[in-house]
Amino acid sequence: MITLESVSKRYGSQTVIHDLSFSVEKGEIVGFLGPNGSGKTTTLRMIAGYTTASAGRVSVAGYDMATQNDTAASHIGYLPEHPPLYDTLDVTAYLRFVAKAKGVARSEVASEFDRVVAACRLEDVARREIYKLSKGYRQRVGLAQALLGKPQVLLLDEPTIGLDPGQLHEARDIIRSFGAEHAVLFSTHILSEVTMICKRVAIINNGRLLAIDSPSGLQQALEQTNRVSLQVTAPVDELRQELLSVDGVRSVEVEADGDRLQVECQIEPRDGVEAAIARAVAPRWPLHSLGRQEPTLENIFLQYVSEG
Amino acid sequence: MKGALAVYQKELRLYFRSPIAYFVMAIFLVGTGYFFTYSIFLTGNARMTETFQNMAILLLLVLPVVSMRLFTSEYNGRTMELLATLPLRPWQIVLGKFAGAVTILLLMTAGTLIDVVPLYLFGNPEGMTILSGYIGFILLGMTCLAIGQLFSALTQNQIVAALITVAVLLAFWFIANAQRFQTSYAWRNVLGYLSFSRHFEEFVQGLVRTESVIFYLVVCAIVLVLNTSYLRWQR
Repeated sequence: MITLESVSKRYGSQTVIHDLSFSVEKGEIVGFLGPNGSGKTTTLRMIAGYTTASAGRVSVAGYDMATQNDTAASHIGYLPEHPPLYDTLDVTAYLRFVAKAKGVARSEVASEFDRVVAACRLEDVARREIYKLSKGYRQRVGLAQALLGKPQVLLLDEPTIGLDPGQLHEARDIIRSFGAEHAVLFSTHILSEVTMICKRVAIINNGRLLAIDSPSGLQQALEQTNRVSLQVTAPVDELRQELLSVDGVRSVEVEADGDRLQVECQIEPRDGVEAAIARAVAPRWPLHSLGRQEPTLENIFLQYVSEG
Repeated sequence: MKGALAVYQKELRLYFRSPIAYFVMAIFLVGTGYFFTYSIFLTGNARMTETFQNMAILLLLVLPVVSMRLFTSEYNGRTMELLATLPLRPWQIVLGKFAGAVTILLLMTAGTLIDVVPLYLFGNPEGMTILSGYIGFILLGMTCLAIGQLFSALTQNQIVAALITVAVLLAFWFIANAQRFQTSYAWRNVLGYLSFSRHFEEFVQGLVRTESVIFYLVVCAIVLVLNTSYLRWQR
């Protein structure tokens, strides 16, 4: 549904997106993770047709966004980072305008309106002017306009920002329900959201795609660089030497924490390394704790971003 | 066309949900009423000629206020991203917005018809001359709105858009005055031809010349095409 092939974006001499390639299929929800300024919004804007790629090819529902932008637009529902709302219009007038602009047939405008209002729980505010709405409702009105016209592709730029926990839950349900029949690409800062909703995660930093895989796939990939952390009271140099002599330990980082040393060992991905570390350390110095860090999505994200 | 209609309806709603349209209409109608009363008592003739000339100057100052928000408000409200990604072609956006602004112009013009009533009640005015004046007035207004809309797309600031538009409109209004500094016959002709006031003067005198009608329509079309091209280029 969404395909990016070696896409780059330049503003003047500055390249903000470098050689980005990935695709999102129908029935798939892909989370787009990256720190601020990493290129998430620019990428979504290129897919939505707001800006064009400087190089490479973006296609949506089979249409090339460089040449068939207008045709492709009717297959895209897009919620930008700041919900694009006309403050002085009421919710009904706004959604009706978007429905008509999306080419929804006159006879279907009412039913389409009812559908998105129900999906985004906007019944209570349908007649209210948009400037009177809370941030959460504004976000939902923005989401509702994206859903109008039953687009095949949904692009959501930080759709859950500013929502309270109850609204967050609802918004996730909405996105999840649309993920069954649409191709959904949404950017977020909230890592737990990605594990809850997405089939795949794309991690981007400095305009480069660092990884794209399922949350569990990313976890497995990073298990190869597993870490063991331990707390020991010992002389730094001797401890470091001892640990590096253990078979399977790749590197050691030591940080003093009062009497205790906080040690992080990068180990090879095989069983028994932790036990070997314990056998090497425990007889000589007091070992306060020893544990293997399972990579959480947060660790994975931070590691990719710091490496990238 | 459906897309342009959706944009048009949205523009009209936005105009009437903000105080700008009401203020502009009120100022224009009060101003026109004043000029009308003044001219009638001064000349004692049942005609609209002087009133039309003053209305035109007022129009040049008032219409930029109508056109200034057309695109700047989309930029400032971050709704341009919506318009540009909806299945709307740039010409539909430009035409829809232009039609919305022209509707305000037509409403303003309709409001001035009240001045014609006493002319018919107490005198015997030339109906065709008044009609021709109104045709010129609307054509001039449409051209002003198209120019204002283009400058509204070119800047993010409403005040800047309005001021540039006023400056450009006044320049085209008085451009014929520059003729006296030209010795070249060709240049004098060009300056005279570009003058908004020269063409408008003909309508006011009751002369609907195809050349003048085409002049306003062509300027309008060129500016709207530039506006469309600018939107396309923005992508």
